[in-house]
Amino acid sequence: MMEKLKLGVFELTGCGGCALNVLFLYERLFDLLEFYEMGEFHMASSAQGGGHYDVGIVTGTVSTHRDLELLKNARNRSDYLIALGTCATHGSVQASVELPIREKLKAVYGDEGNPMKALDSKPAVEYVAVDLAIPGCPYDKEELYQALMNIARGADPVRPDYPVCVECKLNEYECVLVKRNLPCLGPITLGGCNAACVRSGLGCIGCRGPLPGEVNPAGEYEILRGLGYNGDYIVRKFKTFARWEP
Amino acid sequence: MIIELHEFTRVEGNGRAEIVVEDGEVKDVRLKIVEGPRFFELLTLGRHYYDVPDLEARICAICYLAHSVASVMGIERAFGVEVPEEIKLLRELGLIGELLESHALHLYLLVAPDVLGYSDAIRMATKHGELVKEGLALKAFGNRIRELIGGREIHGINVKPGGFGRYPTVEELEEVERQSEALLKLAKRAVRLFAGLGPYGERAKHFVATDGYLWGERLISEGGEPFHYTERIEERSLVYSFAKQGKYNGESFLVGALPRLLLKAKMLTPEAKRLFEEQRERLETGYVSYNNLAQAIELVYSLERAGEIAKTLLDRGINGENVPVEPGEGEGIGYVEAPRGVLIHHYRTDSEGKIVYSNIITPTALNHAMMEASLLKEVRALYGEVGEGEMVKKLEETVRAFDPCISCSVHLVKL
Ligand code: SF4
Ligand code: SF4
Repeated sequence: MMEKLKLGVFELTGCGGCALNVLFLYERLFDLLEFYEMGEFHMASSAQGGGHYDVGIVTGTVSTHRDLELLKNARNRSDYLIALGTCATHGSVQASVELPIREKLKAVYGDEGNPMKALDSKPAVEYVAVDLAIPGCPYDKEELYQALMNIARGADPVRPDYPVCVECKLNEYECVLVKRNLPCLGPITLGGCNAACVRSGLGCIGCRGPLPGEVNPAGEYEILRGLGYNGDYIVRKFKTFARWEP
Repeated sequence: MIIELHEFTRVEGNGRAEIVVEDGEVKDVRLKIVEGPRFFELLTLGRHYYDVPDLEARICAICYLAHSVASVMGIERAFGVEVPEEIKLLRELGLIGELLESHALHLYLLVAPDVLGYSDAIRMATKHGELVKEGLALKAFGNRIRELIGGREIHGINVKPGGFGRYPTVEELEEVERQSEALLKLAKRAVRLFAGLGPYGERAKHFVATDGYLWGERLISEGGEPFHYTERIEERSLVYSFAKQGKYNGESFLVGALPRLLLKAKMLTPEAKRLFEEQRERLETGYVSYNNLAQAIELVYSLERAGEIAKTLLDRGINGENVPVEPGEGEGIGYVEAPRGVLIHHYRTDSEGKIVYSNIITPTALNHAMMEASLLKEVRALYGEVGEGEMVKKLEETVRAFDPCISCSVHLVKL
């Protein structure tokens, strides 16, 4: 019987969805537990610290000093670190509020101080190197499952490199951009979600972040302009999950 | 001396309590929400209304649909859009799915180990495997409904101002009808199990809920007459917490399953009403711990109501048409019952339909003062009487009764 790998989940600031989604694997979670032994799956307080992980998973953005410490701790203690979910890989929605932290705090809490040491939200990958990044807000459960299975078998996880559009074609979904003139970011968004939103007849809002490489945001911008959407609207849409420049 | 409680994590992200003791006497308890701020109110400023509900969904994964629906309702009210019965029923169905998913997760995986005397659900599973499976079955069904109405299990974008991207099919509604009936007996068993919980925490004096069962036009309290939150609820910032604290006429109050039952018993479905009557006396004492029993009764309500809605829609047939939305200057408030209580989304829009003002008040912020009051009462009774370990355990149970956001607690995850 092979030794099980030790797995830890570290939660920084986020909605909790990426951690919750692990539980939504239901019985397949038990399949994973054939290969993995679960360590902390929770905020590691300093009291809980110590211990080494073969695979660490980090979700959420760095939004406080506390998050930053936890992240560094997770990196130091994990051989293989996965940034899971768009918060961790690109910053997701909270990173798109483009004001300095003090102004943000003042606007919401009406206080000029920063007693709780908040930071401007940034993805985990901007602070530490990770071995695998799985975006998605939240990520697709299947992708995580396959990745963990591959790691357990010593194989390199599959890394999707095509846009959401490919998955629409495979599923034979009607193109909402061309047929219904809906603002859809599918052409420039990294696939891997099985075109979850286009299944509802709606445009992709870009939750998996931009397709790396030859993506053409300028072209997408022109298409949306052509459909009558205004420039500010389009740019904000582009920047919702990842702060990319169109 | 300050006693810090760790591991207090089923508050949206990260929270903990601090007990202030001076000269051997308990002076104060502070509930600190230390999860990093995410600035949702700022995030939506200047954004086009169409994109806003999808952003607001990201506030919370356990109750994303409550946020989308509250957001959509606030926006529709700002524009003066009225949606037909069909759309209202489908939204209600989505909220029911969320109630099932959230309550089942909370009750079976977090609270049940307390009732049965285990330290976590996994340990409990060896002897009570059936029970854990029952909880998971309810949760999976709730998620299935969220997927149908919301678009996916977490953060779907199917709920839109004026209607939906996609409407459920006849087959899917038949599935809802069948499943809700099949699962009803599990929910009834849950009521028996959670009736075993004793009274602890503080006794709430004020209760607040929406005027409809899962959403409303206004709020109601024990007085009965409807009001807007601005008239009686005030929110203030705390130096020790990223979550704000709400007060009702300056006092602490309770939102959630218990207030819903107490204020809206008339709206309950037959079996849920019968169970409520059976437990009425205990529930009316107002101890926050009975919120868990109320949640169990709501599992029964949800399944009965989901069946009713599916049947109604199947009988009338699904029209599947959205209402046109004309953006314009306006102001609107969406009131929804998230599983853990009243959720408020308040917006003002400009003539292009962009958001110029936004205020979001979550149940955890509304219950915050009540949680502190409950902790204070427990600490005063226990301090010096029991060891620290025992005290921490009791306090955790008290906080758990509120089911503050993020139920993935230590209990669940120490495998
Ligand atoms: S990526 Fe999305 S689902 Fe995951 S924690 Fe962040 S906001 Fe939540
Ligand atoms: S279609 Fe787009 S927005 Fe929807 S899940 Fe996929 S990447 Fe995310």
